[in-house]
Amino acid sequence: MATSFKFKPLTISILLLFLNNVIASSASGSSSTTMHTNNWAILVCTSRFWFNYRHMANTLSLYRTVKRLGIPDERIILMLADDMACNARNKYPAQVFNNENHRLNLYGDNVEVDYRGYEVTVENFLRILTGRHETAVPRSKRLLSDEGSHILLYMTGHGGDEFLKFQDSEELQSHDLADAVKQMKEKRRFKELLIMVDTCQAATLFSQLQSPGVLAIGSSKKGENSYSHHLDSDVGVSVVDRFTFYTLAFFERLNMYDNASLSSLFNSYNPHTLMSTAYYRTDLYQRRLEEVPVTNFFGSAMETIHTDSPYRAFSERYYIKSKTEMPSDQSGWGNRRTLEGSDVLEELIDPKLNAKQVGCPFTHTWNTILGRMEKIAQIDNLVNCGVALMFPIVALSSWLSH
Amino acid sequence: MSRLKSCLLIFLALFSATESINVEVLNEEFTEALLLRPLPDRKVLAHFHFRSSAPPSERCGRHHHIFPKSIYQLVHKFQVREMELSFTQGRWNYERWGGFDPISSSNAKPPGVELWAEFDVPQDQVDYSWKNLTHALSGLFCASINFLEHSSSYSAPQWSFGSASGKLRYGTLPREAVCTENLTPWLKLLPCRDKAGLSLLMDRPSIYRGYYHSQRLHLKSDEFGASEMSTGMVLEQTLTVVLRPDTFSGQALQPSWSLSSLIGRSVSRKCSLSSSSNVYVQFEQNLVFEGDKLKEDGEASENAIPVGDGLEDNPLFELSLPPKRVIKELGNSQKAGSILHEFSVEDSNEFKPFDLELNWKLPVAWSCPQAPLQASRFLLGSGNERGAIAISMKSTKSNNVERTSSFDENECWLRVGIFQIVPWYVKVYYHTLKLFLDGEPQSSMENIEKIIVSPSEDKVSTGVMEMILRLPCSVNTAALTLEFDKGFLHIDEYPPDANQGFDIPSAVIHFADFVANMSFYDDSLKQVPILSKLQEEVPVVSYTEVLLVPLTTPDFSMPYNVITITCTVFALYFGSLLNALRRRVGEEERFLSGKGARKAGPLTLMISKLSAKLRGKPWESPKQSESGRSSSKYKLLAKVVLVAGVAAAWQFYFQ
Repeated sequence: MATSFKFKPLTISILLLFLNNVIASSASGSSSTTMHTNNWAILVCTSRFWFNYRHMANTLSLYRTVKRLGIPDERIILMLADDMACNARNKYPAQVFNNENHRLNLYGDNVEVDYRGYEVTVENFLRILTGRHETAVPRSKRLLSDEGSHILLYMTGHGGDEFLKFQDSEELQSHDLADAVKQMKEKRRFKELLIMVDTCQAATLFSQLQSPGVLAIGSSKKGENSYSHHLDSDVGVSVVDRFTFYTLAFFERLNMYDNASLSSLFNSYNPHTLMSTAYYRTDLYQRRLEEVPVTNFFGSAMETIHTDSPYRAFSERYYIKSKTEMPSDQSGWGNRRTLEGSDVLEELIDPKLNAKQVGCPFTHTWNTILGRMEKIAQIDNLVNCGVALMFPIVALSSWLSH
Repeated sequence: MSRLKSCLLIFLALFSATESINVEVLNEEFTEALLLRPLPDRKVLAHFHFRSSAPPSERCGRHHHIFPKSIYQLVHKFQVREMELSFTQGRWNYERWGGFDPISSSNAKPPGVELWAEFDVPQDQVDYSWKNLTHALSGLFCASINFLEHSSSYSAPQWSFGSASGKLRYGTLPREAVCTENLTPWLKLLPCRDKAGLSLLMDRPSIYRGYYHSQRLHLKSDEFGASEMSTGMVLEQTLTVVLRPDTFSGQALQPSWSLSSLIGRSVSRKCSLSSSSNVYVQFEQNLVFEGDKLKEDGEASENAIPVGDGLEDNPLFELSLPPKRVIKELGNSQKAGSILHEFSVEDSNEFKPFDLELNWKLPVAWSCPQAPLQASRFLLGSGNERGAIAISMKSTKSNNVERTSSFDENECWLRVGIFQIVPWYVKVYYHTLKLFLDGEPQSSMENIEKIIVSPSEDKVSTGVMEMILRLPCSVNTAALTLEFDKGFLHIDEYPPDANQGFDIPSAVIHFADFVANMSFYDDSLKQVPILSKLQEEVPVVSYTEVLLVPLTTPDFSMPYNVITITCTVFALYFGSLLNALRRRVGEEERFLSGKGARKAGPLTLMISKLSAKLRGKPWESPKQSESGRSSSKYKLLAKVVLVAGVAAAWQFYFQ
């Protein structure tokens, strides 16, 4: 009687170990099987006052670009901290230019600004990201993204080491941004997020990011300034920043159907012309930049699924698509994780063992234990564990037999 | 054969269906009009007027062909009975552009955003509806109207503004910017947007280059009356712009202009959804009078030149197109009324765009009709502690006063209503209210007919003053002063540009005894919305300037400086103190030398490894020397022996 009970705690603990493995493997596998559903853009100009004209021009240039590449107005959230177009100092009312040749009026006839003036605050910005609004806030002011959304977050303004100033009165810190993005991920508000920041020491702003699926690019590294591109003597102030200017130069060559990749965008930045080093962070992003078209974020290029009959074929295709997507995701995941440390290897090997023998659960767990034992470098540790484990087992068995 | 019959039946059914729809479409109506008026200071007033109406949804369903759906939903969600929203930039010049005509009374608005709305909900839900309405409008019109949701930014006028139902809320944002992003959604409410019809003329740069522009949306609905008489919803959108023609003219001659030179565009497509699209050119009463005088002079001096009655022969100006008709306003005893020339843009197309031209032939000077009193408002006092608001009203000596029926030399009173909102941080002492008539302070309050004051409550509500003054008609100037203290805001409540100062919204001055309306000979003109609007009796209203009050602003970086300096001082003090008290140099040296000999035990090693595992970081084993390794082997052996010993002892004990 006593002997039969003796094994129970052991098996339970072994089962627990096994379960743990299963959970770990499933977590690594479910990286992103959801389909890309829609594109959103949040464009933020955080600077007030006339001399920051260029920040508004930057934001409006991006607004025009993403609109041209296919993101509709209702999925663009535009935040402008001041009114430059109808500013009393603007010689060209209702017009904003980002080039001294004045060939292109960025303000156009159909601009829709969602947050402007005093409404551009850190609080509102974080509310948009996390989706925690008052009930009265209209839909046009909300980010109504879902777990398949690709979001472009563009910010420009004055910043410094790990912060970005809003309207010269408050700061958004890198921790705030990272927390908001983490919350977005947990709330399944995006599938992929590209954060693009044009400010001094922009790279420091995303040093705290941890959420998977986030890609970040900044105009300058820590300790570097981002500079304006040129001055328009008619308007009287600088009209565009260097980083944005060259970003636009890249996009002006493209149309909605081009397949230029993100890496070609990122490699187009020349530190000499930029006068700062564009820094991008890819370690949280699973896909290879060479394979991701820029329209993934800057446009609204959806994958079209052709169906012959209304519903049945769709689900089949979807299934095939998700299956073909899996291996590439997994390999990306694997490549990334191997760099981090040896303990990750266990997680990658264990699923293999799991896959090999699906028959008897006991041999399976035994294999797991063997696998673990092989990898335990020091026998000393095992003995310690054994000693620790023995006391409860002995105590339990003695108590049972009592 | 039967098939043919059924086809015919279906066709008939369809036909009757379309016919019934047509009847509905007739009920739902959209009209557009543009009124142009030369102003005495060489500028031109352009007043666009769009009107969409929908029959009550109870009778005719909820599907609209022309009426904007977003407005319909707004009305139904928030039970709006009447609402007016205006976006204005610039200030209406009452002295030069007139203050006694329907356009200035209903379209001269305070700078920034002004919103008032009356709801058809129970009294306790009005504030809730208002709050939601401000949010909805802010989303709809790309403006920060939602700042009006706080009770400290709006007020509930009791009788001096609009109706006295108590369900009206009024709020203004004097500093709100007005630009293309506000005009775009406003244009999207029109059935033809800005693609056809008169709205084609809305070239953004030329509109915003103007001296004054006011974009207004007025909504009236009696959807909830549930009576047979209800007229449904009426949405009136107007845009009033004051522009200066670029064309150069002589010193005295008024500048000639055409639509394309004034606005930069012409009407090349007509909006086919509009039941009427007309352009009116209005010549004011005084201008007509001057013209008639010139004509008479010409007739008197040179009889040789035949001067006909036709308008082409008007000695003052000529219009490039023949008017469809000429509408004359009923004048008074001395002067004839103003004249409206009507043009239709119906037959304009891309090859023959509608472009009207006005050429002046003779120099002429005239003035616009004025309100009985011209109000202006300014600040008194200096410093950051206290000040005073003064509203001064100057008599314009216009003959309008005499027009009132109750005119009598001895018993002539001029009733002036004043509605003033003051934000809470300007703490007005209403007992300091002083009234000066022609510079003489009035001791008793006999000139105040009616007054309601609701003082502000800090961070909760605004201060509102509503009053009706009764002034003798012979008065030249009247002034009103109110003293105030400047309050302090919490550091979080300051806007980013606090040093610019804070705004006190415009005061509304209304002359209840006077109505600004035009009356025409022809009664059939009531069919045309813009003309019926001009004939409507509206009280003469004018707005004063927005006041800019500089408040005490703290040095916003001060808390950071204080924190930084204090922390540095504390760190230096405590650091050095603790160092001096705690440090024992001799002991430390001994400790350091002893530390080299000690090694980490297996338990600490295990714990560190475990914690490393928990944190998800690879565990780095501390470097172990060969001697350490051999000692650990011994320990291992000892442990195995210990375990065996314990097991044996246990076994022995239980047996």
